[in-house]
Amino acid sequence: MSDLWYKYVIAMGLLSLLHSGYSAAQHRSYVRLVEQEFNGPPEDIVIQCVVSLLVTIAAIVSLNTKHFREIHALDDLKEKTIDSINNRPNFYIFNHRGRLCR
Amino acid sequence: MSTELEDNNVLKLSKTEAKELLQKWREENARHSEQVRDIWMNIDFGGSLGDEKWQVLEQVCVAAIDLHDNELIKECLQQLDNKFPNSCRVKRLKIMAKLELRERFEDALQMYDQMIAKDESNSLLYKRKIAILLAERRVAEAIKELCDYLKKFMNDTEAWLQLSDLYIEEQEYSRAAFCVEELILANPHNHLYHERYAAIQYTINTAESLELSRSYFSQALRLNPNNLRALYGLLLSANSVAALPKTTSQKKRENLRLANWASTQIQKLYREGSDDESRINAMEGMLANLQITPNST
Repeated sequence: MSDLWYKYVIAMGLLSLLHSGYSAAQHRSYVRLVEQEFNGPPEDIVIQCVVSLLVTIAAIVSLNTKHFREIHALDDLKEKTIDSINNRPNFYIFNHRGRLCR
Repeated sequence: MSTELEDNNVLKLSKTEAKELLQKWREENARHSEQVRDIWMNIDFGGSLGDEKWQVLEQVCVAAIDLHDNELIKECLQQLDNKFPNSCRVKRLKIMAKLELRERFEDALQMYDQMIAKDESNSLLYKRKIAILLAERRVAEAIKELCDYLKKFMNDTEAWLQLSDLYIEEQEYSRAAFCVEELILANPHNHLYHERYAAIQYTINTAESLELSRSYFSQALRLNPNNLRALYGLLLSANSVAALPKTTSQKKRENLRLANWASTQIQKLYREGSDDESRINAMEGMLANLQITPNST
């Protein structure tokens, strides 16, 4: 159910974003027709754009939060034994009794 | 340290399992030379290794050098030489196989010096020179060379670990502790470094260092609650702090509680690991006796 709700909100947010873009363009052509200066889109269009952007972002993130897992830096280290620090491959020496292990 | 394969056959593995096992050993720096040789001789990988083949060959070559197995060394070196004709890494393997194995250390040192003159930034060559000094048991010189090396290559974990071990051998524990501190700075979430630092501090055995060791053992446990060595260390260091003459009685009680907690955790871990009642009873009996009392001299 809440999945559907988030998807609905995302759809509405995107539509509102597109709507605000279309209104800004329409405002621009209106101002050109009326031969006034263009000082940027009117405030309500800007507010609509920003709010719908934030709502869409929030909805997309919330839709996916159940798939996020915590990042554990430690999980792969838990399996390490003390041998991984006792053996230093670049410092191996070979004059030991290994020659007798045939 | 034992994997389940210690006693069982590595020969019964499939190709992919063997390949993954070899990779795991490469990453963990494990030195199971006999088993590596067994895998190589008895499992025919064919083409399934792909690009890993050269790393596996290097691993097998080092295992063969460990076992003084001359034919296997020759075979590996030939294949590596054909693939990488002028490679410094292969040349280093050759020096290891021919000169270091036969204990012709002077010749090996000369060759390494020549290679270093050509390429000063190759850290492996410096490390092999230090390894030769170690093989000749010239520990003091090795320490000096290793310090010089670390001034140039400061973030080399292996070298810091080696230096700390050398200092421990020479019983200069505070310097060994410094080396492990560098490692902890670089990898603060690795519980093994905390445990090793705590062990060194426990060895130093002054009042502050015992408290320090107790806190580092606890940190190692916080990072990895199944670290048995850290549990034993916590038990011993808490007991030692409680036994010091200067601790207040409240601190003594806290430390004894900590030691008790550690011993219950140890018992729990052993119980999970084995069903053998007699062994568990033996272990519990031993835990009761694990108190270090200060010398009264």
